[in-house]
Parts: sequence; structure tokens; C-alpha cells
Amino acid sequence: MADENTQQKKEESKKRPKRHPNKNYALKKRLPLKPVDGDNVIFITKKTNFKAQLDKCCDLLTRGEKEIILHGLGAAIQRCCNLALQLEILFSGTCQIEVNTGTVDCVDDLEPLTEELDFDSQVRCSSSIHIRIFRNAMLGANQ
Amino acid sequence: MEASEEPEFDATLGGTEHLPYSANSLKFASSRSVEIAAMTESILRPSKTKLVFQTLPVHMRRRVMSHNSKRLPRKLRKAHLDQLKKSGLPPKQKRPSRKYRRRPANLLEEYNRRQKRNVWLETHIWHAKRFHMTERWGHRLPYAPCDKAFRACYRGSSAHCLLQDISYYTPIQIIGTEKLIKEMFAKVTSSVCGLGIGAMAYINGTRQGTIHIYGINSFPFGYIGKVQFIWAPCDRTNKSLWLFVHPSQANLIKSVLEEAVSAQDQDDYETTKKRRKLENGAESIQIKAMPGNFNRFRLTGPNSHAVLVQSLKCVNDGIKNAKWVSLHKPLDLEEKAQYWQTISTASSPAQLPANMVVGLVVKDPRLSRPQQRTKAKQDTNTEIDTDSLLRIPHFISNSPLWNVKIHESIKKESMTNGQFIQHVTKNQLVPGEVDEDDPALQCVPVVLVQRPGSQNPEYKKIGYGSGWDIILPSGYALPFWLTFIMFGARSGGLRETESLAFEMGECYLPPDSDAGKENERRIKLELRERYFRLPPSKRVNYIKIAINSPFVCPWNVLLSDWSENQVNKYFVLRNRTILNDIQECITKKRSLPNIENAISCLVPVYVKLVAKGSLQKHSLICLPEAGDFANLKTLFEPHHEDPNEKIRKLKRSEHIKLLKKIRKSKIKLKKKEKTAGAEKLRKITTIEPSEYTKSMRELWLPSKVESVRNVASRQVMGYVAQGAFSFTEACSCGIGYIAFHALKHLLNNGLNQVLVRNTTSRKYRLANIMIVKDT
Repeated sequence: MADENTQQKKEESKKRPKRHPNKNYALKKRLPLKPVDGDNVIFITKKTNFKAQLDKCCDLLTRGEKEIILHGLGAAIQRCCNLALQLEILFSGTCQIEVNTGTVDCVDDLEPLTEELDFDSQVRCSSSIHIRIFRNAMLGANQ
Repeated sequence: MEASEEPEFDATLGGTEHLPYSANSLKFASSRSVEIAAMTESILRPSKTKLVFQTLPVHMRRRVMSHNSKRLPRKLRKAHLDQLKKSGLPPKQKRPSRKYRRRPANLLEEYNRRQKRNVWLETHIWHAKRFHMTERWGHRLPYAPCDKAFRACYRGSSAHCLLQDISYYTPIQIIGTEKLIKEMFAKVTSSVCGLGIGAMAYINGTRQGTIHIYGINSFPFGYIGKVQFIWAPCDRTNKSLWLFVHPSQANLIKSVLEEAVSAQDQDDYETTKKRRKLENGAESIQIKAMPGNFNRFRLTGPNSHAVLVQSLKCVNDGIKNAKWVSLHKPLDLEEKAQYWQTISTASSPAQLPANMVVGLVVKDPRLSRPQQRTKAKQDTNTEIDTDSLLRIPHFISNSPLWNVKIHESIKKESMTNGQFIQHVTKNQLVPGEVDEDDPALQCVPVVLVQRPGSQNPEYKKIGYGSGWDIILPSGYALPFWLTFIMFGARSGGLRETESLAFEMGECYLPPDSDAGKENERRIKLELRERYFRLPPSKRVNYIKIAINSPFVCPWNVLLSDWSENQVNKYFVLRNRTILNDIQECITKKRSLPNIENAISCLVPVYVKLVAKGSLQKHSLICLPEAGDFANLKTLFEPHHEDPNEKIRKLKRSEHIKLLKKIRKSKIKLKKKEKTAGAEKLRKITTIEPSEYTKSMRELWLPSKVESVRNVASRQVMGYVAQGAFSFTEACSCGIGYIAFHALKHLLNNGLNQVLVRNTTSRKYRLANIMIVKDT
């Protein structure tokens, strides 16, 4: 059953039209708008090594940070969730998780490929996840 | 403290303290356990093994710090002097050197004399104190900061703000009707390389564009260089266009454009001769190069927006004080100030419209300088409105700066630093406070140009290399520069330009242009000199590892080898559609389509090592063979015989014998002379190496390269022009060029990976290739 399902999904994704609006423009992406940055804010990406980001979070929490905030956008949402769950297991009982979801407006530049057209831009909505991990008890009172 | 120094007596002597009769050693020790632990710790691992000035970070160290305590920060001076007392004070400062005492009294005159050979930037003296300077393209330019800040500069460009002075770019003004200018540029550009100069997107002046310029009607050969252009917005029929040209290409481009104009005039003349003769004279194009009329700074990195927002304060109502206003009235000041205010909350320039041109009129930057060097921070509480990011308002790009007439007035009325300080100390009521709306200082028109950085997430992370270019009138470089520095921008030089281009995956001075060839020649000479300065035992024997041109990439020979014809002219592929097709072919392992001039075509590729290993300049890109992927770990170039080794040894022993002979005869001669009492012969030193050295060098490194393809065990497809460890990719990467036929051969074999080998090594490593589209 499961195999059939995945196959079906594959076919569906093949059928889905590509996002390119037409042949006159080339799509160029801009940096999405960022939420408030800080020492305890981590943006989860697909490119950065998962283990490295997990270690970074662990470091922050053991160093005595009260809460850390993870942001994931689009395809990085799954990684973000995985990371938060891993953290919950690692700091079992001493950490709690609060999850928020949202939508981020990403702006794309449409660069013309022909001389007669002007630049254009479009807004693309992308889902986002914001996970707050906070300590409810310190690990080892003497630390 | 005084109370504790008073003498205390125990009860037997009439004091208040009662001493116990016995001491419990265990209790005694345990109550002092913390101190004991600290003491043993500090004995085992003493923390102060360093001198005081050694605890400073590298960028704060100065040259004679240990001798001259004034070079240390004040809070460390006392500790430093105490330390010095222990080891004996340094000898007293000597009398200043003769060289120092004989310094010219009039420095300015001396500076003017020195500027005769090379052009100096306005920030030259600031740079000369802090940077290694080099001579390049008729300028004296900063190469790299003295504080070894290579990685710091990368961090600046990726997370903070990197500031570079690129005033050496030559502005060229072109005035003429739109139609004529378009016709002129049609001769020297090609539409397949991307948008042309007269594209709808650029013509209203709200965006900066880039074009590739070739020789007249010689596309795809005769490439000259990449040029940035801005149309100055105006409504008249005679439009003005500004090109910003790299100084290595400036003269060539100007002459090519002039030639294009004259050719055009001739054509026009022939066609219209019969009809009208009058119009020809009126409708001509003026081309003027104006080096030194503008200053241009490049700010890279997400924080560059915050730096600009903090240091540029817009003038928003009528300006009374500036003289240049009477020559050219700036328009739409209020709207511009408002727009600048709305986009000021962006956290990175990469969020703004690509290549946007913003013309502002700002207050003197010295008024908004912080007291101490601080890092400019963004006000992140208010979120930026997405609507303001979508469109560029039409009024934002006009600027009085494009009017050449006002430049002189601005320069004349500008206040020097000395005058400024005098003025401030005289007029300020509260010390340390500066009146931001001081009417004595004129306002300055500036133009900001956004650079979008990477916009393709498959190639480089989005927004890397984004930033602002700021164009200033001459005379205002230093005030703006210092303000940016005070807001936490890190300064970089030419090395940073090179490394930034490499990290962005762009070609820096491509090899088919004259500028690129000149650059290659310079690098070749430098490397060759360094190679032959090494003692023979420390030299890499390139013959043994089958590398016949370690310091330069012989593109001609490479292409000739792959086409079985003599190829003299070659070009780098810049046709957008073909490049896209090739990329598609590489990812899908399909065979390549046929193109025109394929025998002399180089394809620009980005080489990325699959596993560990380093990649350097001039490394070879090789064709993998069938079994190579299975035994990559043991894939070495076999040792080669060096037939010259014996000859070199023979020659050397002969030469030593000859030298001995000469020496003996000299000694004999001297003895004779002494008896005769003749004059001493002066030793003549020649810079030109002797015949013997030349022939030995020829034996080390044969200068004639006849074939490169089949020299080693794997066929050579191309070369890496720039290679290093890339911080953005976290592995070794390089930008190289592959002969088109070689790439075709590779894909016909059903492969899309290549082998690379450094010039100093026998090891072949596997690498992925991607097409560089932004050449």
C-alpha cells in the first residue's frame, strides 16, 4: 500500500506545473524577511550539517540559556521539527517545546529575458515554523 | 584597609585575640581546601605565561609594543610597566633616525611628487598606514590589510560589513540620443549575453545594468570586459549614460567606443549624404572619460544596510546652505527621505529590489559619527512592509550628482577636517555634542546602487555578496569613509575583491580579455621568480610529476590539442541559452549540442571537490578513465623520468670548475696589481641573469610548451584559474575553463565528474562541475 501511495505522489508531483511564470522572465530569489535575531535564535537550513546545528543547540542549552528559538522555512520545516524532537529526547524532562506556525511572504524578482520588458516582482507565500524550547528545570543543580 | 594594617596582639600581650591551645590539622586543611585547590591548579597550569601585550588580540598588536608602552591600550600600561621592571627596563628611546629627521618638511609637496607616477585614491594615506600597497593599472592600490584579517574579511562579507574603496573604476559619460547610443552599443555587444544597454528595464535609470563589451563586430572574439552602466534619468532627448569601467580596460573601451562612433558617422554620412547633411553634426555622441570625478565605495554584507542607514541622514526640506543647489536644484527630497525611512528597517540589502539606484541628498557625514567605533545595529522591532519592496518608485533615482557642473562647486565648498574641528570647537555650547543641522556644512548628493548578491540558491546561498555601492562627489571620500569605519565596517583591499569574486563563483578578469592575459602574465612572473629563488633541493621537480606549465594556463595549446588545428584566438562562452543547455546536459549526462566556433571555445566551470583535499591555482582538470572511480584512493600519477637531471648535474659541476678557474686567475691578477699599485676594479652587478642561469632554468622548466593533453596519464581537459578553500561551500573549490571539445568527450563517455590534480602533487581527486553562468 505504502509503495503505491508514494508512487502516486511522485506522479502527481511530476504533473504539477513548474513555478516559472513564463518564458519571458527568469526567477531570481531574494532573501526572505527575518524575524528578530539574537544569540539564542537559530535559523535551521537544509545546507548546514544537521549534527552541527544540534550541537549548537545543546551547547546553548547546557550553557544556561533559558530558552532557544528555532526558525524553519519551507523545506527546512521538517529538519527543524526533527531537531526540536531530538533536543527533547536529549534533555528529557528538563525541556519543553512550544510550536508556532506561520506564513512568510517571500519576494521574488522576475528578471526579463527580452529587451522590451521591465523588471517585475512577485510575492510567494512560504510556510514557516517557530519552535521555542525552554528549560523548566536545570540539569544538575550545581551547574 | 587602614584598620587591617594596625598591629593586632593576642590576649597575652594585651590584645583581644585569643589563640587556641591546639590546632586540628584536618579541620585546618579542610577549611582551606578551596584555596589549596586553587593554588595547586595555578602551579600546575599557570595562566599568566604570557606578557601583557601578548594577551591582546592580533589586530590590536602594534610593532614595537614591548618597547613603547604608549602603543598599548591605557588600561594595560601599568601592568605592562610592572612586568618590564622585573625583566629590566628597555633602553631609553634613541635619537630619531636620520631618515626620520630628514623627512620632508612639506609633506603635501612630497605627496604630490609621489603621485606623479601612480594615481592615488583620496583615501590613500589612510590606507597606506594600514595596508600593503601595490601598483596596479596605473594606480597605487591597497592590496590587503596588515592585520592578517583574511578570515575576518570573509566574515565581514558574509555576516557583517566589508568596505572597499573602488574609486579606481573610471567613469565614462556618454551623451547622445537614445537611438544613436543603442546603435553604437549594438556594434560592441551581443544580445545573446544577456540584456543590452537599451533594455526597457534599464532605460529609465532606476536600475544599474551590466554588459559585456567586445571589439567592434568581432563577437565572440575580442572580449574586452564587463561594464556597469547607469542611465541618468532625464526627460530630454539627449540622454546621458554613465559607464563604470575597470581601469585595466578603461582606455581600450574608450577607444573602441570612439571608433564605433566614427564608423557610425561614416555609415550615416553615406546614407544621408544625398538627403540631408545638416543633421549629422547635431546628432553626434560625446564620450568623456572622467577619472577622479567620483568616489565609489563598495559595502558588502548584510550589515552594510545598517551602516548606511546610520551614517546617511537625508536632508528633507529646502536646503539653504549649499551653493551647488543654485546650479542644480535637487528634486523630490521629501519623498526620497520618506522612502529611505521605509526601507531603513530591512535587515539586509538582499531584501531590496535588485540593482536599484537611489539618489539621496545627505547631511555631512561627520555630523552623524559616533564617539567610538560601534557596530551599527538594525532597529528590528518594526517589520518592513512587503509592498515597499516590490516596486521602485520612479522619483528615487534622479540625482544632482550626475550633473557635472556642480562637482567643482561641491569640492570648493567642502570643509577640510581641520576647518571642521575648528568650527565645531568654536561653536559648540555643550562639549562633545554636535549639532546635526549645522548650516555651515553643505549637504552632499550621493547615489546608492544596490547589489543583489547571489539569487540562485542552487549555486550559492541566497544573498551572499549582497551590498551597496555608494557613489560620492570627489573631495568627500575621507569623511564618508571614516564614518563607515566608525559604524563598524571592516576595510578590505584588492585581495578581498579577488576572494569575493571567488566565493561568489564569478570569473575575475577572464582569460580571453587583454586585462586577464596581463594578469596571468603578472602572476606567472611572480610565481616563476619565487620558484627559482628556492634552493634546488626545495624546488618541485615538475618534469617528474608531468606538469609542463605550472605557472600559467596555456589555453592556446590546450585548444589546439583538442581540435587538432592550430588555435590562436579563443573565447569564453557567454551565450546564456547555450550555457543553460550545457548545464542541463551535465546534470542529465546527455551529450552536448553543436555550437559555432567550437574549436576555440572555453567553457567556464565551477569545480567542487567531492571529498577532502585542496585545490590551487593552475591545477589540471583531467578526463577520468573507465576504472578510475573504483580505485580513487590509490589514483596517482606515476613517476616520470627527468632526462635533464643528468645534464643539469654535469653542467653544474662544469660551471663550478669554471668559477674556480676564474677566481684563481683573479687572485693572480690582484697580486700583480698590488705590486703595480693599480686601481681597484669595481664589481659590476647585473640584474639580467647570466647565460648559465638561463640555460639551467630552461632545464628545470622548459619554456616551450608544445602539447598538454597527453603529457600525463590522464588527458588534460582544462585548467583551474582560481582555486582555494571556499568558506561558503566548506570545501575546496575552483573556477576553471574546459575546452568545449573536451567537455563533449567527457559527456559522450557518459560521465559528469572530472579529476583534478594540483601542480605540486601526483594525486588525482574527484570533483563535480557546474557551469558558471555569471561570467
